Amino acid sequence: MGFLTILKKLRQKEKEMRILMLGLDNAGKTTILKRFNGEPIDTISPTLGFNIKTLEHKGFKLNIWDVGGQKSLRSYWKNYFESTDGVVWVVDSADWRRLGDCAKELHTLLREERLAGATLLVFANKSDLPGALTVEEIKEALDLDNIKSHHWRIVPSSAVTGENLLDGVDWMLDDIASRIFTLD
Amino acid sequence: MLFLNVWSLLHWYLRPLIKWFLRKTTRLCELQRICYGDKAGAQRTCAVENSLMLSRTRDIKEVVAFLDAVVLERRFIPANFDDILKPSISIIFRIKKINTKLHPSFAPTLKRCLQQIWSYRQLVNEVEELRRVQYDSDNSDHELKLLKLWSLLQPNELLEGRVTKQWQTIGFQGDDPKTDFRGMGLLGLENLLYFATEYPQASTHVLSHSHHPKYGYTFAIVGINLTSMAYYLLKDGSAKTYMFNSKISLPNINLFHRFYCYLFYEFDKMWIESKPENIMEFSIIFKKFDIAIRSQLSDPSTVFRINIEIDNI
Repeated sequence: MGFLTILKKLRQKEKEMRILMLGLDNAGKTTILKRFNGEPIDTISPTLGFNIKTLEHKGFKLNIWDVGGQKSLRSYWKNYFESTDGVVWVVDSADWRRLGDCAKELHTLLREERLAGATLLVFANKSDLPGALTVEEIKEALDLDNIKSHHWRIVPSSAVTGENLLDGVDWMLDDIASRIFTLD
Repeated sequence: MLFLNVWSLLHWYLRPLIKWFLRKTTRLCELQRICYGDKAGAQRTCAVENSLMLSRTRDIKEVVAFLDAVVLERRFIPANFDDILKPSISIIFRIKKINTKLHPSFAPTLKRCLQQIWSYRQLVNEVEELRRVQYDSDNSDHELKLLKLWSLLQPNELLEGRVTKQWQTIGFQGDDPKTDFRGMGLLGLENLLYFATEYPQASTHVLSHSHHPKYGYTFAIVGINLTSMAYYLLKDGSAKTYMFNSKISLPNINLFHRFYCYLFYEFDKMWIESKPENIMEFSIIFKKFDIAIRSQLSDPSTVFRINIEIDNI
């Protein structure tokens, strides 16, 4: 039994996961986090710095880091990469103007060595807004089909209605769990 | 927990007894004891509010319900005070069997407390309403306010367009501020505008700190986060200390703006003094600031003032 296996076993006991939530500003990261945690979502202000929430879901202890997406904060994202199991990338489906920016930031992120192997969940958020792009359109704009380095999935969501939030997160947890907790 | 339950139960049964005893020995009702004994301001007004809320007398409960209804209709304004408060006060006098001739100073003191209590309640509604108005770039009134904010903070620089990176100079996130107000809605903009209008010196001073090469931060976004803090302090009643101790006016929207300006000025001071490594420390310092302010507000004798001092950073 190698060192890594011992580490994995130790982790298995706790069943802890570290989730990093990123995306451009105004994508809805904090709203998703609050919604998922059952908190009110109508009094949110822009995130400067980060929010962290620890919550239990499906027998796992999730440490979710929600980091501000404003341009001047993006250079600090790397401080939060260490031992991340899953990345939630949140996209504002109605903000077609910045979709190019969004794609660029995502692909820069995926080249990051410390995120190698992490599961990627993309929320095409605000899909309930009029003028929102479809999942297919966003998938194409973000060039997701070319991602071979990570397990990924894209889900249309709305933090306001709560649509698909659970489905997306459940898929991500299953994917992470099958990777880190079942090896022996 | 058990102790607390037992205590609140005991308190419920013993309170009338204690009140009766004090009434017999001092010949004053509880409201009089508060008005004569407690220091004017938050200490007295909060005690009066507490006493009224705990009252089990039907008529007092009706007075409270009546004043709450007035607030809901937004009619609790200085012009109406006499019409609204006279009957309420005479009901209290009748129930408590107070001789007006023997206690001439009691009525005006009580009146002042009632004005403060229900002005505060009306302010909570007003602020809530303003917060719920989403910033709308199709509304010319909203747009004018936004442009006015720019011209106040950057008087020597013209905006090249409505959507421009220049907005980042005053600390918005991108090239269009409209999405930055989020859940704080118009309240966030009104707060910033008041700070820039009424405290030009302080706001320029704070804005220049936000451009500091090492300790810089995004002015407007920090401002919107402070709106959120002021909003929660108002809603949970913590801001009563500030509002009831104010010598300037009864609780109203301008006093709320002043409270916000105080918070902004003090936050900026704390931020610079903390010498943060980078902007990511905002969450921690903001939390620390919140705790410090709450602890100050928990002392009813605290008086808040902006002490503007010019430093040379």
